[in-house]
Amino acid sequence: MLSLFIDFKCPASYLALDPTVALAARHGTGISWQAFRSRQEAIPAERADETRGETHRRVRALQRRATHSKYAGLRGLEMAFRADPGESDAALSALNCHLADPLAYVRRAFRAYWMEGADLNDAQTVFSLLEETGNPVGQGELAAARAGFDGYQTEMEEAGIFITPTYRLADQTFVGREHLPLIGRLLEQGVAGEV
Amino acid sequence: MHALQSDSPLIVYIDIKSPYAFVAIAPTLQLEAELGLAFDWRPLTLDIPSYLGSARKKAGKVVESKRSPAQWNAVRYAYRDARRYAEMQGHMLKGTEKIWDTRQVNTAILWVNRVARDRLAAFLTHVYPAFWRRELDVEDMSVVEACLAAAGVPVAGFAGWCEGEGRQAHDALQAQLHPAGIYGVPTYVFEGEILFGREHLPYVRWHLTGRQGPAPDIAYEVAGC
Repeated sequence: MLSLFIDFKCPASYLALDPTVALAARHGTGISWQAFRSRQEAIPAERADETRGETHRRVRALQRRATHSKYAGLRGLEMAFRADPGESDAALSALNCHLADPLAYVRRAFRAYWMEGADLNDAQTVFSLLEETGNPVGQGELAAARAGFDGYQTEMEEAGIFITPTYRLADQTFVGREHLPLIGRLLEQGVAGEV
Repeated sequence: MHALQSDSPLIVYIDIKSPYAFVAIAPTLQLEAELGLAFDWRPLTLDIPSYLGSARKKAGKVVESKRSPAQWNAVRYAYRDARRYAEMQGHMLKGTEKIWDTRQVNTAILWVNRVARDRLAAFLTHVYPAFWRRELDVEDMSVVEACLAAAGVPVAGFAGWCEGEGRQAHDALQAQLHPAGIYGVPTYVFEGEILFGREHLPYVRWHLTGRQGPAPDIAYEVAGC
């Protein structure tokens, strides 16, 4: 089992979805979908008095967005960036509920955020996405998962997760889908992942 | 020198103190050789403390730090990640004890381009692995000169050039980078496209070989995969 930490509002997580599912299918391994709240910020406007560090972060954010858009375009994948990325805790909390078909929910939630402009921090929206994808989760279970999400996030940070998408396979951590060739090699060698 | 323009089909920005640049050297040189091209290798001297905080280690222990826990996580992961790929390339990658001033050794890249371009691969493959084995004090001019000599690059005149014309060329280039959209290493530039990270090498290869078939996704290429 390959563990993958994602955030629906993270563009790199969205772009990792299809290649990861394809790799897992090729190797006959399952994916354990794990939630992690990533930090997505609006790109600041250029200021005359910005520090070198602020300039670096602004330029990096602009280039990263351009790169994500480029690869999404090459794949024909729709990807609408928002001026304010918003939050996705409610949708992430659902990953900590018992889901009958987590992949269907993950796909639907990504599409809702990146193509439909949905508010993934709205419990009712998330409840609808779960129902739509054949994942009947009670309102109470979802509320409990949401209430416990901050504690869960802290636990994951203490376990060394700091960004998304992050893969965990056996004792190795990989940030980004660029590692899929190496992850594939490890799976071929029979390296078992975390459950 | 214009940050985004070159007579070469590909500009490659690197800095010796970046572990990610280190692990990009071999596959980028391999691509250059495979295609029979001469890439335009250039220095991008990172100002790491400005965006990733700073720290100093002594005998393996952090004795001074201006980094947040999140910055430490990112830095530690970066080294672990680069190390596993360096080891797959047969190299050792030791964590650095401080943030090095690499202007001198990076300016040497411009010198090699100027006086012995055919020795650039030899220079890069000499200086990078040795630096990451902690065998080189790249702030010492005599060490940089020794590296040039070991790679078969003429050294006469380098020290003076490095402190004068070479430094000016280096600094003038650095001043163009952020405004041009370049912020890290390795960065690949061609026809106005700016791609940060060796994960873009499959795309770069696809572009340089005529864009046949579908464009590849990002990937750290691993031999045998």
